[in-house]
Amino acid sequence: MNHVKLLFFATLRDRAGTKAIELDIPSELTVQGLKDKISAEYPNLKASMSSVLITINREYAFDEAVIPQNAELAMFPPVSGG
Amino acid sequence: MEFPTIFSIAEDEIDLNDLLAKITLASTGAAAIFTGMVRGETARGAAYETEYLEYEAYIPMAESKMKQVAEEIREKWPVVEGIAIVQRIGKLYPKTPTVLIACTAAHRDTGVFDAARYGIDRLKEIVPIWKKEVSPNGEYWVEGNYFPKAGE
Repeated sequence: MNHVKLLFFATLRDRAGTKAIELDIPSELTVQGLKDKISAEYPNLKASMSSVLITINREYAFDEAVIPQNAELAMFPPVSGG
Repeated sequence: MEFPTIFSIAEDEIDLNDLLAKITLASTGAAAIFTGMVRGETARGAAYETEYLEYEAYIPMAESKMKQVAEEIREKWPVVEGIAIVQRIGKLYPKTPTVLIACTAAHRDTGVFDAARYGIDRLKEIVPIWKKEVSPNGEYWVEGNYFPKAGE
């Protein structure tokens, strides 16, 4: 197993109702696998998964990427700074 | 000598004079500065009013992506001397500056205007910051439309 931290921002935080969670995920879980897991466990977030951005250790990550041990993950909508 | 690069997410007022002084070298003769502020009344498209904007950031990642934007500017415009990239967060009211990108160079015809323009465009693409629009009619998170690619 792999113990990771997952941060939520903006709409994702509002829908999750929390800023961050810690969770245990299978080793070798990919970003796509994480999206599937979150969709199943957090029905409020399911609709967001098609357009969410995901980061691993503060770098953008893509569906096939395998999540490393003890990673800091984040989920958020496309950015709107400025 | 090393050129100064400033990048930060700030809760306090953006101090243009201070930032400009920090990116002005003995060899500097030009600065291109972009600053954005909260617009209280929007006329483009469907007209609406803004009471305030509330910004938040994934601060450590935002600062590292701002540093990356500065590195991209230096790669494209090696003539750029100093770079400052600052985003203010929190609750910001109309007319308040929210973001500042400044690039300095020896002369104005060196691409320094383009460098500052590139800086704000990239910030809006890859730096993890969001704003919530609060108007008399309600509030909603503004979402961008850019999906970073591998390596960004």
